[in-house]
Amino acid sequence: MSTRRKKFSLLLTSLMALTLLVTACGGNNNAASNNNASGSTPSKSEKPVELIWYTVGAPQKDADLVMAEVNKYTKEKINATIKLKMIDFGDYSQKMQVMAASGEPMDIMFTCSWAFDYVQNARKGAFMQLDDLLQNQGKDIVATLDPAFLEGSKVDGHNYGVPANKELPAQEVWRFNKELVDKYNLDITNVKSMESLIPLLKTIKENEPGVTPYAMVKDFVPVMPFDYVIEKLPMAVYLDTEDYKVVNILETPELKETLKTVRTFYKEGFVSPEVSTVTSVDDLYKSGKWLVDRASTQPFADNLWSTSMGYPIVSTPAGDPIIYNWSVMGSMQAISANSKYPEKAMEFLNLLNTDPVLRNMIDSGIEGVHYEKVSENVMKNLDKSKDYDMPTFAFGNVMLTYLNEGDPENKWDEFKKFNESGIDAPLLGFNFDTSKVSTELASVQNVKEEYWAALMTGTVDPDEYLPKAIEKFKAAGLDKVMAEAQRQIDEWRAATGK
Amino acid sequence: MKMVGEFFKNINRNKVMLFMVLPGALWFLFFSYLPMLGTVIAFKEYRFSRDGFWASIVNSKWVGWDNFKFLFSTDDAYVITRNTLLYNIAFIFIGLILSVILAVILSEITNKRLSKIYQTGMFLPYFLSWVIVGYFTFSFLSSDRGLLNGVFESMGIESIQWYSESKYWPFILVFVYLWKAVGYNSVVYLASIMGIDRSLYEAAMIDGASKMQQIRAITLPLLRPIITIMTLLAIGKIFYADFGLFYQVPRDSGTLYGVTNVIDTYVYRGLKTTGEIGMSAAAGLYQSVVGFTLVMASNYIVRKFDKDNALF
Repeated sequence: MSTRRKKFSLLLTSLMALTLLVTACGGNNNAASNNNASGSTPSKSEKPVELIWYTVGAPQKDADLVMAEVNKYTKEKINATIKLKMIDFGDYSQKMQVMAASGEPMDIMFTCSWAFDYVQNARKGAFMQLDDLLQNQGKDIVATLDPAFLEGSKVDGHNYGVPANKELPAQEVWRFNKELVDKYNLDITNVKSMESLIPLLKTIKENEPGVTPYAMVKDFVPVMPFDYVIEKLPMAVYLDTEDYKVVNILETPELKETLKTVRTFYKEGFVSPEVSTVTSVDDLYKSGKWLVDRASTQPFADNLWSTSMGYPIVSTPAGDPIIYNWSVMGSMQAISANSKYPEKAMEFLNLLNTDPVLRNMIDSGIEGVHYEKVSENVMKNLDKSKDYDMPTFAFGNVMLTYLNEGDPENKWDEFKKFNESGIDAPLLGFNFDTSKVSTELASVQNVKEEYWAALMTGTVDPDEYLPKAIEKFKAAGLDKVMAEAQRQIDEWRAATGK
Repeated sequence: MKMVGEFFKNINRNKVMLFMVLPGALWFLFFSYLPMLGTVIAFKEYRFSRDGFWASIVNSKWVGWDNFKFLFSTDDAYVITRNTLLYNIAFIFIGLILSVILAVILSEITNKRLSKIYQTGMFLPYFLSWVIVGYFTFSFLSSDRGLLNGVFESMGIESIQWYSESKYWPFILVFVYLWKAVGYNSVVYLASIMGIDRSLYEAAMIDGASKMQQIRAITLPLLRPIITIMTLLAIGKIFYADFGLFYQVPRDSGTLYGVTNVIDTYVYRGLKTTGEIGMSAAAGLYQSVVGFTLVMASNYIVRKFDKDNALF
C-alpha cells in the first residue's frame, strides 16, 4: 500500500513539473513576441506584421486569391498582412467564445449584439479597450462615423469595438410577396398592426391552398412598444417611459392582447402548424409560397430583397425607426485583448473604414475577376462572384461600397437621412451588468427556452400558458434580475442625467 | 533515496512493456489528466486575461460553490435529474436485453452472407449523426407532411401534433435511441459469442441439448463477463445524457421540455448566451463526480457477489 502511494505522489510531482514547464514555455513565448511587437511598430523597413482576423460568414472558395491581393495592398499602405479566418453564422458565437476563453492568438474579431455578444465579452475582458487607439491610429474612423455609433457602443464608459457605418435605427416592416399581392389586388397601404393583416391572410388561405400565408419562424416576437433590458427576456421599459420602470412584459395588457392575435394566426392556419420548432423558412422563400413576413428595413431594402429572392418584394412599415442598443451594435470589429499588434490592427481598421479600394476589394473581390466597374462608383457582379460572396455589413463602413446596377444614385444620402430620422430608445447607452445575477439568469434562460417560442408563435393558448410562464419565471428568479436591472438603470440615470 | 533507485531499476526491467504503454499513457496524460487541473475553473468567475489561458485561470477570482447553484436553484433540478437518470436506466437495461438477444440470433444464423447483411443493416444507424436522425424522425412525425399523420388521416384517425404533445416522447426517445445504438452493442456481444469454444456446443448437442438449452447453459453464462463490463461502463455515464438525442430529435420544442430536458440540454440552454465558462465547468465536474461515484459503487457491489467479473 505504501509503495503504491509513494508511486502515486511521484506521478503527481512529475505531472506538476511538466505543467510548470508547459506554462513557463508559454510565458516565454509571449514575452518574446511582445518585445518584437513594440520594436517593429515605429519603423516600416522591418518585417511586415501579420494580423489574424476572425469574422463572420460562410468561408469562400476564392478567399485566398482575394486575400493575396489585399495583402499586397495593405503591405504597401501600412506594412501589414491579413490572415482572414471566416466562421459561418451558425457557429460563430460558440467557436469564438471557446477561442477567446482559451487564449487563441488573434488580433481582430467581429462582434455584435446578435453573435459573440459584444457587451458581455467586453466585460469578460475579451477585447482591448480602444479609447486611445481610436484617438490616434483610428482618428479617421471617428471622423467618418455618426457619433451615435461610438456613443451607443460604449461599455461602462469605454469603447471596445469599431462599429460599422451603416443604418443606425431599426425599423420593422411587413414584407409582401408582390406577385400574390397583385394577383388578389390586396391593399397593403392600410396595414400596420398585426390585426390589420388578418383579412389579407384570410384571402390567401382560402384561395391558395399550397401557400403558407405568414412565413414565421420560432424566433418570432410581435412588434411591441418595449425597449428590452436583455433581448428576448421578458423585462423591459416602455418606449415612451418617463420613470424608467422595468416591467415584466408578460404581465402587461399590451402583450396579452397581442398574443391573442398571434393565437388567431395559428388557429386559422396562417402559419405553419410546426412554427414553434421552425428555424428557417428558406424553402418558402425559394418557392415563393408565402405572402407576408416581417423584417428590419433600411433605405431601398425592397430592391435588395427582390434581388436576393429573385421575385419582387414590397414592404410597408410595422413600427417606427428607433435606435436601440442592439441596432447600434449590429456590426463591429474589436481588437483582441491578447493581440500582439494592437496599433497595427487599429491602423488596418482605420484603412478598412476609410479606403474605398481596400473596402471594396474585401467586399467584392478582384476587379475583372469577381466584378467589373460600370462607372466611377457603380459595379456589376461577374459569374465568378459566387465564389466570393461576403456579408457586406460585417466588414465596416458600408457607405464606401460601390453601388450595384439599379441602385439609386442617392443611396448613401438616404441612409444618412434614415439615420437622422431615428428616435433614441430609452435605454440607449445602458448596458446591463449581469455578473451579480448570473445564477438566476441561467435558470431564467431555461424557462424562456421552454415557453417563449410556444407563446410568441401562438402554438399554445395564452390564457392557459401565460400564467404558467409568469409563475415559472418568478420561481427561476426573474424578480431578482429585474430588481438588479432597475437598480443599475437608476444609477445610470443618476450618472448620465437621463 | 533507495525508493528512487528501486523505481529506476523497475523501469529498466520493464522498459519494453513501458515503451508499448507510452503512447496511450501520454494520450491520457495530455487529454485526460492535464485538463483535470482546469477543474479549478468550476470554482472561479472566469475572466479573460491578455496573457493567455493560464493567466486567465490564475487571475480569475474565487467564488466558492456559486457556480454550482444554478444547477440546483429551481424545480427544474428535479426534472432534469429524473429525466437523465430514468432515460439512461431505460437505455442501459432495454438496450442490454435487446443487444444480447440480437447477438444470439445473429450467431445462430447459418447463412454467413445473410448474417453479414443483417449486421451491416443494424450497424449503419450508429454512424448517422443525431441531426440526420432528427430529420428522419421529423419525416415520420411532422404534423402536416409526416408519414404517420398521413397514415392516420387515410384511416380516418385524427392526426396528432407530435411536437407539442409530451406524453408520447418518452417512448419515441427510447425507441429512437435503441434503433441507433442496439446494432453497435450487439456486435460487441456477437464478437464474444464467436470467441466461445465450438466444442462446448458440439458436446452439448451430443448430449441432446436443444438450441434454447445451449443458449441458456453455454452462451449466456460465457457472455456474463462482457455484459458486466459493458454495463458498468454505461453506468459510469449515467449522468451524461446524449445531447444530440435530447436536443435534435425533439427539435428543441419548448412544450416537450417536461420530458426531454436533461442535464446536458439544461446547461446548454442556460449558458449558451452568457458563455459563463465557470458554470459549464461546474456542471461538468458535478457529472463526473456522480459518474465516478456510481462506477465505484456498482463495481463494489459486483465485487461482493462475483469477484471475477468486477472491473477492478
